[in-house]
Amino acid sequence: MRMINQDEEVEAEVTWEDQQNINSFSKLNVKFSDIEERYGEKKQEDEYLDDLLQELEQQELLGDEGELVRYKIGDAFISITLEDAVQRTKREKEFLSEELKKLRNGMDSLTTEMEKLKVLLYGKFGKAINLEKD
Amino acid sequence: MSTRQIEKSSSDSSEEVVTNPRGIPKVQFVENVEEYMSKTSSTIEVTLGKFQETVAKYKFMELNYTNRKKGLELKIPEIKKTLTVVEFLISTQDSDESIETTFELNDTLWAAAKIKSTKTVYLWLGANVMLEYELQEAKELLETKLTTAQNTLNCVVEDLEFMREQITTMEVNIARVYNWDVKRRRVAKTTEKKLDMVE
Repeated sequence: MRMINQDEEVEAEVTWEDQQNINSFSKLNVKFSDIEERYGEKKQEDEYLDDLLQELEQQELLGDEGELVRYKIGDAFISITLEDAVQRTKREKEFLSEELKKLRNGMDSLTTEMEKLKVLLYGKFGKAINLEKD
Repeated sequence: MSTRQIEKSSSDSSEEVVTNPRGIPKVQFVENVEEYMSKTSSTIEVTLGKFQETVAKYKFMELNYTNRKKGLELKIPEIKKTLTVVEFLISTQDSDESIETTFELNDTLWAAAKIKSTKTVYLWLGANVMLEYELQEAKELLETKLTTAQNTLNCVVEDLEFMREQITTMEVNIARVYNWDVKRRRVAKTTEKKLDMVE
């Protein structure tokens, strides 16, 4: 925080409406970081599944379709056929892409809302307010 | 967010405490510092102290809720995991083939086992109680638990947002009352100087 210079002290009164806008902005900001974090985690998971799928498909190409792999379900590994494993992984990937899409959309709509508020608040308070992430 | 109002039981005025749907009170925004300060009988220091105390209270509650949120965020994946296993068991329940599994016997210790396809499972309910359920029943129970946990999480997140708002409002109140005081002192000082010069 910096001290306000006496000459550049802006005489903008903070009204209840402004305050509500500031509150919304702060709320959206927290929400955004939350989703962003979740998105990062899911994205990572998605990459792991990609690797896994590649590996499984390679095994399949080697002609080991009937072979059993130990697939983790819950906390235990269960021996299932390669074919089943591929299917399960694909299904999981579908779930995940759906979730990623939802998170992406959520982030996009939050960004638009925040941009709107930024225009409003910067328009009124100018340099007296800082809405950027540090 | 819907709000409900509770009639303040204490005698003073017709002031009502507005709360969020789960009874967390909303703070008052100081619209006009001059007016607000002239209405209260307390000094600047007392007013600022009171405001800071309110912020501290909300921050304490925020911490509590953040912990609750963390707990739920751990619990939900756990339920999901159990649900996946039950669903897997359902998919194999009509087959005669046994399930080959490598399971954790103890931390870092794994053993192989063959399990006959089963129609029931035992669910740990907590408080040292375990109960046998048919697979379908277990699935339903876990699904209900999952929805409840997710709903609670949504409420906690909503409450946290609400508290965040109250804290921001209060912090702005503090800044504005403080700035108002600084300005007032400055004005008082300059008029004092002018008076000195006149004398």
